[in-house]
Amino acid sequence: MSFSLAHALTGLFWLGALLLLGGLARRASLWQQGRSASVSWLGLLAMPKRYFVDIHHVVAREPAVARAHVAAAGGGVAILLLSALNYGLMLYQGWLDVLLVLMAAVMLLGARMMQARRLQAPPRLSQGRWQVLPARLRLFALGSLLAAALLFAGPQMGMAGQLIAVVALLMLALGGAELALGIGLGWPMKHAVAGLLHLAFHPRAERFAAKSSDLKPLNLAAGELGVAKVEDFAWNRLLSFDACVQCGKCEAACPAYAAGQPLNPKKLIQDMVAAQSRGTDPAYAGNPHPGREAAVLVKPGEDIVGSVLAAKTLWSCTTCRACVENCPMLIEHVDTVVNLRRHVTLSRGEVPGKGSEALANLRNTDTVGGYPLAVRYHWAIDLDLPVLQPGEKTEWLLLAGEGAFDMRYQRALRALVKVLKAAGVKVAVLGAAERDCGDVARRLGDEAGFQRLAQANIATLAQYRFDRIVTPDPHVFHCLANEYPAFGGQFEVWHHSKLLEHLLARRAIPLKADATPLPPLTFHDPCYLGRYNDGFNAPRNVLKGIGIKVVDMQRSGRDARCCGWGGGAAFTDIPGQRRIPDMRMDDIRETGTGRVAVACPNCTAMLEGVVGERADVIELAELVAERLA
Amino acid sequence: MKIAVLIAPAVHPVSGRPCAGEADLAALALAQRLPGQVEVWYAGAADDAALADYLARGADNIHSLSLRPDSDVLAALGSALQGFDMVLCGARSGGGDGSGLLPYQLAEQLGAALLPDVLDLSKSDRQWRALQALPKGVRRTLQASLPLVASVNPRAATAPGWSYARLQQGKIQRKAATGAALAPVVLEPARRARALVAASKVSGHARMQGAIAGGDAKAAGVVVKQGDSVEKAQVVLDYLRQHQLVDF
Repeated sequence: MSFSLAHALTGLFWLGALLLLGGLARRASLWQQGRSASVSWLGLLAMPKRYFVDIHHVVAREPAVARAHVAAAGGGVAILLLSALNYGLMLYQGWLDVLLVLMAAVMLLGARMMQARRLQAPPRLSQGRWQVLPARLRLFALGSLLAAALLFAGPQMGMAGQLIAVVALLMLALGGAELALGIGLGWPMKHAVAGLLHLAFHPRAERFAAKSSDLKPLNLAAGELGVAKVEDFAWNRLLSFDACVQCGKCEAACPAYAAGQPLNPKKLIQDMVAAQSRGTDPAYAGNPHPGREAAVLVKPGEDIVGSVLAAKTLWSCTTCRACVENCPMLIEHVDTVVNLRRHVTLSRGEVPGKGSEALANLRNTDTVGGYPLAVRYHWAIDLDLPVLQPGEKTEWLLLAGEGAFDMRYQRALRALVKVLKAAGVKVAVLGAAERDCGDVARRLGDEAGFQRLAQANIATLAQYRFDRIVTPDPHVFHCLANEYPAFGGQFEVWHHSKLLEHLLARRAIPLKADATPLPPLTFHDPCYLGRYNDGFNAPRNVLKGIGIKVVDMQRSGRDARCCGWGGGAAFTDIPGQRRIPDMRMDDIRETGTGRVAVACPNCTAMLEGVVGERADVIELAELVAERLA
Repeated sequence: MKIAVLIAPAVHPVSGRPCAGEADLAALALAQRLPGQVEVWYAGAADDAALADYLARGADNIHSLSLRPDSDVLAALGSALQGFDMVLCGARSGGGDGSGLLPYQLAEQLGAALLPDVLDLSKSDRQWRALQALPKGVRRTLQASLPLVASVNPRAATAPGWSYARLQQGKIQRKAATGAALAPVVLEPARRARALVAASKVSGHARMQGAIAGGDAKAAGVVVKQGDSVEKAQVVLDYLRQHQLVDF
């Protein structure tokens, strides 16, 4: 009897393996719709590190789920490996059966934990096949346990044994089908295979070496104009969509989703999956884009935006990277959003709201607001701020950015210059030679406009001699530091928070001697300083350095909520139930401090634009200037 | 039906860079709405970059008559536009030295009717009907038969958004042309403004008295001091109705 059960297991194993390979081939043919991409096969070798280190960093933020996954997935993989050895290769060793029983017990426990969580599933989790997956995994684990125990116990079981063997085989077949058929039919266990391959062939592989948050340039000369159809995605980008486990952590973190704007990042990725699988996968069973139907109409051959995805969904994104930061499968949502936007902007010219006006201003005046370049430094007219002439040299070059045209932010800029002068820092500006950095153009999909501005700025900066650039605008900072190198612009750029931190640490800023305790305040992390560039500590150290206690909001640092400006969202202004800055002001109110420190001209404008009772919005440099001796 | 749209670069009010003129864009968009074959024409000395905005906003092919700077475009346009049924252009060019006279001169030269400051064009029987924009939101319907020249109001239609792909695909076909020299500009001293003279030399108070309590019952107004607010309002309303200032 045990003889026949063992052979049945061998048969089942190889049947499953064949089905899995067939499914993988089917899925791979879907990925092959995409463009070719330069990937390294060495990624396969790097996969274990990426799995156990990079993914772990994200998953460990939710320890209970992480433990359950370790037990279920670890047990499951061990069962598969042991079965491959013992039954696939027909070794039929008793001691391997003992190990199999142990691993099956581990997996059973993990699946049990998963199932318990599913009883009170948070609304961000998808239902449907995902909801019943833990039960199927339990079946598989239980089937393995029974079969292995039966084989170890030997042939003395008789009729009861035969009955149990049949039951165990049924359980194994039913549970194993999840994995064997999952990849081919787009069932939940697709994530295991696609996820591992995604780690190996990640479209942004450099993120495993160091922080990587820059957008990649389009080769405009070669006719690249963004993604119109599924075929315009790189194949490994299509693969990355299939890695999604629909855990909804992106959905829970997305400011646009919380504001009721028609964007759910999880659904966005699933829309892409529906587009590439031409709607053959099981129907999506999670939350829809707010205010829209969950069902999508896939029309093969048609553009993605307008059929599968509504343009308003695309324009709701603030590119704050909260989704990317929270994704346990390391999917890059923002890249996809911007790639789709590029097509809409460059090919169709359909930028909604004031977005097209901002782009026209950038084309015609090199500023977002349509201002004359000559007035950018009018606020500094009495500050004796030298305007650098070509060939002259300075230690620090200050780029004020678009905030220089905003009368509110001019106060912050004046404060910054005062502090720098008090600290004896040699700083100069470009005056009328400074153009916009191109951040808004690029995030709104106008890659051509961005590249024009980037190249013009790089050519301008090449005419001057300076050691470092300092800017209070995190968008300018991110563009120059991370996105200009692709166009040959290598500059050492500091955000002013880092310079202030540096000066305070060296006691270069003369501070008031009196020790009057300052009231505590809260700090709002700018996305482009924090999540984009890991600049979480510098502004906090500055506040600490001038003796102010920071009461952090519940969502701060890595989890900070966007102010709603980023990605040109303040210009496209897609309506929702609430406004994002209003929600952020609620976060600030919760701290009870009544004051919030900001470190970005755009956060300043968005938070000061909140109507009704609100906290005072003060720029970092203004706080330091107040403490000057 | 052959339609020609005339375009010219405008001067951006802030930066002074060449860009598309609002009225010319409206003419282009209006023309593309009409049934017919649309050709886009330019005459002057602007380079390709100055016309780029029009390519990016929906003109796929621009016929450019290259003239020397400071030459009159009228003759060159007049001979190039023979045989077109309809010529649309912006009511005035965006900035620069434009006088706004070109549509009139062109209509005269082509022997075509001119429909000035048009918001919309539609066909009725064999005639073309134009909705003309007049100051203070007043509209008037004009009618003409082909061939016709229409100068288009900037609010007539919205051209498609600026698209890099259209800019790349668009073409500018240059043809050499000769233009007559511009009539020399004659500078003359500004005429002294004539002082306004009041019709009568009585004081303001006296004129107000005359308006509201004069001896002549027809011209005089009524001062209503009695009654509640509804009755007073009724008097005002009656006055307005009497003078046909409201129609309810």
